[in-house]
Amino acid sequence: MPPSTGRTSTSSYALRRLLQAVPVVFAILVLNFLLLHLAPGDAAQVLAGEAGSATPEYMAQLRQRFGLDRPLALQLVLYLKNMLALDLGFSFRHNLPVLALILGRLGPTLLLMGTTLVVSVVAGVALGLLAAARAGSWRDTLISILALVSYATPLFWVGLMLIVVFSLKLDWLPTSGMETVAAFYEGWPRVVDIARHLVLPALTLSLFYMALYVRLMRAAVLEQAGMDYVTTARAKGLSETRITLSHVLRNAVLPVVTLAGVQVGSLLGGSVVVESVFAWPGLGLLAFQSLFARDFNLLLGIFFLSACLVVVVNLMVDVLYTLLDPRIHA
Amino acid sequence: MKRFWRRFVRSRGGVLGVAILAVVLAVATAAPVLFPGSPFRRVDRPFAPPFGRQLFGTDVLGRDVAAGIAHGARTSLTIGVLATSVAVLVGTVMGALAGYYGGWIDDLLMRTTEFFQTIPTFLFAILLVAILAPSVASIVFAIAVVNWPAVARLVRGEFLAMRGREFVQACVCLGMTDGRVIFRHILPNCLSPIIVTGSLSVATAILIESALSFLGLGDPNVMSWGFMIGAGRTFLRSAWWLCTIPGAAILLTVLAINLLGEGLNDALNPRLQR
Amino acid sequence: MRFRSLTLGLTVLLAVGLVLAAGEAAAQKRGGTLVMLVQPEPPTLASYISTSGPIGQVSSKVYEGLLEYDFNLKPTPGLAQSWKVSPDGKTITFTLQKGVTFHDGHPFTSADVKFSVLEVLKKAHPRGAATFRELTDIDTPDAQTAVFKLAAPAPYLMMALSGYESPMLPRHLFEGTDIKASKYANAPVGTGPFKFVEWQRGQFMRFDRNPDYWRKGRPYLDRIVARFVADSATRTAAIEKGEAQVGGFAAIPWSDVKTLARLPQIETTTRGYEMSSPIVQLDFNTRKAPFDNLKVRQAVSYAVSRQAVIENVWFGWGKPATGPISSNFAPVGFYTSQVRNYNVPNGVEAANKLLDEAGFKRGAGGIRFEIVHDQTPYGEEWQRYGEYVQQVLAEVGIKATLRYEDVPTWLKRLYTDYDFQLSSNWIQGLADPVIGVHRLYHSRQIRPGTVFVNETGWSSPRTDELMDQATIELDPRKRAALYQEFQKLVVEGAPLVWVHELQFVTVYSKQLKDLIVSPLGLYASFDRAYFDK
Repeated sequence: MPPSTGRTSTSSYALRRLLQAVPVVFAILVLNFLLLHLAPGDAAQVLAGEAGSATPEYMAQLRQRFGLDRPLALQLVLYLKNMLALDLGFSFRHNLPVLALILGRLGPTLLLMGTTLVVSVVAGVALGLLAAARAGSWRDTLISILALVSYATPLFWVGLMLIVVFSLKLDWLPTSGMETVAAFYEGWPRVVDIARHLVLPALTLSLFYMALYVRLMRAAVLEQAGMDYVTTARAKGLSETRITLSHVLRNAVLPVVTLAGVQVGSLLGGSVVVESVFAWPGLGLLAFQSLFARDFNLLLGIFFLSACLVVVVNLMVDVLYTLLDPRIHA
Repeated sequence: MKRFWRRFVRSRGGVLGVAILAVVLAVATAAPVLFPGSPFRRVDRPFAPPFGRQLFGTDVLGRDVAAGIAHGARTSLTIGVLATSVAVLVGTVMGALAGYYGGWIDDLLMRTTEFFQTIPTFLFAILLVAILAPSVASIVFAIAVVNWPAVARLVRGEFLAMRGREFVQACVCLGMTDGRVIFRHILPNCLSPIIVTGSLSVATAILIESALSFLGLGDPNVMSWGFMIGAGRTFLRSAWWLCTIPGAAILLTVLAINLLGEGLNDALNPRLQR
Repeated sequence: MRFRSLTLGLTVLLAVGLVLAAGEAAAQKRGGTLVMLVQPEPPTLASYISTSGPIGQVSSKVYEGLLEYDFNLKPTPGLAQSWKVSPDGKTITFTLQKGVTFHDGHPFTSADVKFSVLEVLKKAHPRGAATFRELTDIDTPDAQTAVFKLAAPAPYLMMALSGYESPMLPRHLFEGTDIKASKYANAPVGTGPFKFVEWQRGQFMRFDRNPDYWRKGRPYLDRIVARFVADSATRTAAIEKGEAQVGGFAAIPWSDVKTLARLPQIETTTRGYEMSSPIVQLDFNTRKAPFDNLKVRQAVSYAVSRQAVIENVWFGWGKPATGPISSNFAPVGFYTSQVRNYNVPNGVEAANKLLDEAGFKRGAGGIRFEIVHDQTPYGEEWQRYGEYVQQVLAEVGIKATLRYEDVPTWLKRLYTDYDFQLSSNWIQGLADPVIGVHRLYHSRQIRPGTVFVNETGWSSPRTDELMDQATIELDPRKRAALYQEFQKLVVEGAPLVWVHELQFVTVYSKQLKDLIVSPLGLYASFDRAYFDK
């Protein structure tokens, strides 16, 4: 069957996708719930083991308090009912509502991941262009090798080395955390303090993500550079810079936009490794610890927000495609 | 076919990549001969630095690092290459079908992708390994599952862009089957991003395996580069060679696959200017 | 005349000098924020229902106990100013301190003692039920007196009354509520030198000085902040840089301790863990082959080199263990090393000989038989320990396959299903053998479903008898003799391998004084600690 050539307008496409979003998120929730419950063990077992008193009676009491002794189907139905009222539930491990816990870590997560996104995309695109402009030269090779090295090096290694160099040896920046706990700053000094703490973790993550953008951009630009329209433009007498920036860039940036979209979608997942190395209080580390503690309410809450974000961002990227390349139609 | 090989051999990078991979595979196969016995046994005092009695020194329990690299190559290559291949294969097919056909097929496939995108990558891998019980097979499966959505989205984007081109319309007019159009005409033009993400993904695969091993979710009876990095992590500042040497091995492998990929791209995509 | 004025002048000078010095010392003492690394982040602050390790490091600043202890393991006054044990050991009268208030201003009285012990600790604390088993009632004739009535003598009870083990809770906040779900679980109110201020999950806990603390003039520190840093290398870096001043209980990896100790501004100490007394073990399942065979168990015990484990896995920290009771109990006479010694230089030879005698000859590839070894799922040292055990067993012809599972799965396998052959483990001896040691060797403690009790299956009428007698024996010398015979018998029977006495190290800033002042170490209240800048 040949591809559909019927054109639909962007706004009706967006509307269709938004309407799909609700059942999609719903389905994702159900599947996540079932998937989590496939994992062996539950929150009661974990808590009891930690407390040092995992007697059968104590665990039964805990299960009853957490609602884990009910049949799975009933638990699922109750959970979905609460979700419809946007009640994300209670984390029994932390003794706090899930929403409060997530909101407390949302700010730091967005700060870290947002900064990383901006830095890695901007730097990645720029370096990719630079590399492609003189393809085959030593500059190109150098940038390509650096990109490869930074992607293939374990994040904990990069993070720790940055701490050793910039914090311990040079004493320019703090080692870890989001702020200086002993100081209890307020106002502008607090903003500066947080900014200083943000530098190393954001740099570590950016180096990693940047590599992919550099390589993608370079490959895409090289591909465009061989196209007929570029030869035509050159024949018409346009400057190389003009060709690159106004024509090639717009066509080459498509895979970068796709990948950036995937990265934005995974924003709420944070980075477990960077958050743990730098003691950055993000959602990544929270989700990770929750998985080991079998705190499913909290995990499902994070997954729910993540699902919403993914659905929305994918939609936005698809709309962006049509704007970037008018030949793409929904 | 001959044209393909001729073009491939012309690419210096591609040939170099193949050569390096061949060496790595040779070491992996010859491991039981080069380093007989178990790589887990103690051979000398712990923390012997490299270039002493052992080529790459020893680790915290006196195990030979060089033996670990040789024996671990097989596991790490299996995990890295296999997991990535599955991810690339599945992702490419999903993305191609979604991008080419559009409409409800696109919707269905992309909504499926969104489910897999929801759970953060690393967590998803841990969850799957925890459910399936740690083993090389479950690790390969878990890594493949978390990696394919990105590939699918990329390929779909490329196909959406290609779909409206004249050459595709020409193919359709000529009466070519959809399969032929997708695999013989559009796909070769979309290879660049696939190759870039694919080759880099091998590194991610091995590093995820390392993180899983560090957490105790790997198979403690099987030697791998990831296991060595995990075990050497605490001694980063004192015994640098424990992390650096397996790290270098991973880097070399990824570089080789990257070069190989570029060679393939040169051979398949003649319009590419160098 | 001149001589007298000279003497007077000198005396005045001396007096002025002393006053100045004292004033200066006092001025140096007060103030400062102590940043402490606590690993991992405690799941809750309710130390009255959870014995999870890290909780004790923070809850002990807020809650206090009736007693404190000195380095000879003798009780010293805490919230109890003095106490008297009756000759038959069945009545203990505590006279409480005067003028003690909780952080919300409410006075602390004997009614709080009665409530805390009878309603909370005896009923809900994981070890409380065993510790206070003989306690029938507590009389409170007046606000300052609490009389413990026991059905039988319990000499170990006096050792379990620290602020860590048995915190005194505010009755007026807990009475009538569900103890296990109190809102004060994570916002504790106690009598201690520091008040709970806030808990930023994933970042820190903050405790400020209690200005109304009953020990006048103390605490010296302005506040204590407990920081949670997930990565061990980062914790080391934080101490190195001075961003944190204290890290103990394995917060700093043993491999980094020596490097840190070389820095001029850092001190280390192994003191402060004498009431914890953990021992690293290898537990056998004596119900199943091949470890139902005594010779096989003894062989493994001979094969393991305690020194190699201490050197290679714990980087020199630790002391070879000889049996079920830690040498930390030597001051009170319970410990003896006069038992079968498995820590011999030719251990591997001895092991091979025993295995041959037991009938397990070497087969193809030099392997006698195969087993599965379960590793303790608590982190890196334990992974290396398991790998070492695998190495050493291979030397005597036992092929061990390693298995690493997460904590709840491992606990279930070991303590509920008894589905294991050989497992690593580590168990604390705690403040008295009745609390920490009996639970591993008594027949009554074979309770499927309960964790950290007798899972090896060891059951001997004689050792049961010895333990029962030691529980009620008031004469310390007689008690010591009972435990010494107990150790001889258990070590001979080898239901597990006692590898070494785990040595925790506290790494702290040199400027910090009077940090570790009792065997409770980091589980004490830090009321005396101060910065000497």
